[in-house]
Amino acid sequence: MAKPINFDESSDSDDLQALFDSIAAGKPPAPPVAPPERDASGDSDDLQALFDSVVEQVAEVPAAVPMSGGAGESSAQEVAFNRIGHMARQLHDSLRGLGYDRMLEDTARQIPDARQRLTYIAQMTEQAASRVLNATDIAKPLQDGLLAQAESMSGRWDRMFANQLSVDEFKALAADSRSFFHEAPGKIKATNDQLTEIMMAQDFQDLTGQVIKKVVEMVQGLEGQLLNVLIEVMPEERKAAAPEGLMNGPVISAAGRADVVTTQTQVDDLLESLGF
Amino acid sequence: MPADPSKIKILVVDDFSTMRRIVRNLLKELGFTNVEEAEDGAVALQRLKSGGSIDFVITDWNMPNMDGLTLLQSVRADPSLKSLPVLMITAEAKKENIIAAAQAGASGYIVKPFTAATLNEKLVKIFEKMGM
Repeated sequence: MAKPINFDESSDSDDLQALFDSIAAGKPPAPPVAPPERDASGDSDDLQALFDSVVEQVAEVPAAVPMSGGAGESSAQEVAFNRIGHMARQLHDSLRGLGYDRMLEDTARQIPDARQRLTYIAQMTEQAASRVLNATDIAKPLQDGLLAQAESMSGRWDRMFANQLSVDEFKALAADSRSFFHEAPGKIKATNDQLTEIMMAQDFQDLTGQVIKKVVEMVQGLEGQLLNVLIEVMPEERKAAAPEGLMNGPVISAAGRADVVTTQTQVDDLLESLGF
Repeated sequence: MPADPSKIKILVVDDFSTMRRIVRNLLKELGFTNVEEAEDGAVALQRLKSGGSIDFVITDWNMPNMDGLTLLQSVRADPSLKSLPVLMITAEAKKENIIAAAQAGASGYIVKPFTAATLNEKLVKIFEKMGM
């Protein structure tokens, strides 16, 4: 668990403040953050200039900073570290100037709450799954037993009607059949009880549904706010989609997508077309 | 299908215990009663390398510590493990995923949610290829 962030009167974290001050001390002074003016493109001139100047400074850092240190290499790392800290300081000041830090603070406070809610959902669904699997573990052997007995007895009755049983065998069959009919209702009822248990275990849907709704609302709010911040500080040429990678989880909606498959048949067809 | 499924030792790898339990139950239905579990690729690889005679691996993709693709690649790169059958059962459904798995040497690919029939079908296919 991360320690709670302490927000002081200036609505800035004490620790962050101290960190930035220590890095920024003795470095070239930051360009002044004047109140931003909107230009026709919707992006602030001053912010753009600020960002460009920071990007320039970072570009001066040596391109390859190797991981293993020698004396010359570690000072290059230090330079890079200082530049990055300096840039972070400038970004921090810009955000403060724009008033976004308070909004981000509010958002950050909501996140532990959302985390709790999601943990709750995970617990509820795991419990439900467990209940259902336990119920099937109980019911399956009962059903398998009934099935085996019924099939065996059916075979014997067939032989009876084909006149293949002796009198003693017939008496034994009658007695066994009677026991079977005596025991079967108990087992069938037990299976029904497990089916009811399985039905009842679905009650998690109601509770998790409500919690999910709350989390979706919170995430939508967070997304909107962060997008606003990003759009403010990002220069035009950086606004491109990031590549997605191979760990995306289940496909929620395949609508309008040509890059996913939705059925096992499609998987098999794709593999076949590639010669696998 | 193998003559005596209970002799085949299967390693089921998935970070969700519920899914491991479901796959275990399905395998039991098909006669595969010798099933071990691992909760991520790293634990699975460790188990495989400790020489414990695993005959078949069924693995998810998206797992912490080591994902299924990396596990598959590590298995194929190890001379003592490289012909081990590895069946992927995963929610990852992008064509990129399927191609990557096939190229890395996956013996089969099942997309979640799946049915018992599909699992059976893929197992039969893999065993046939292995000449069992």
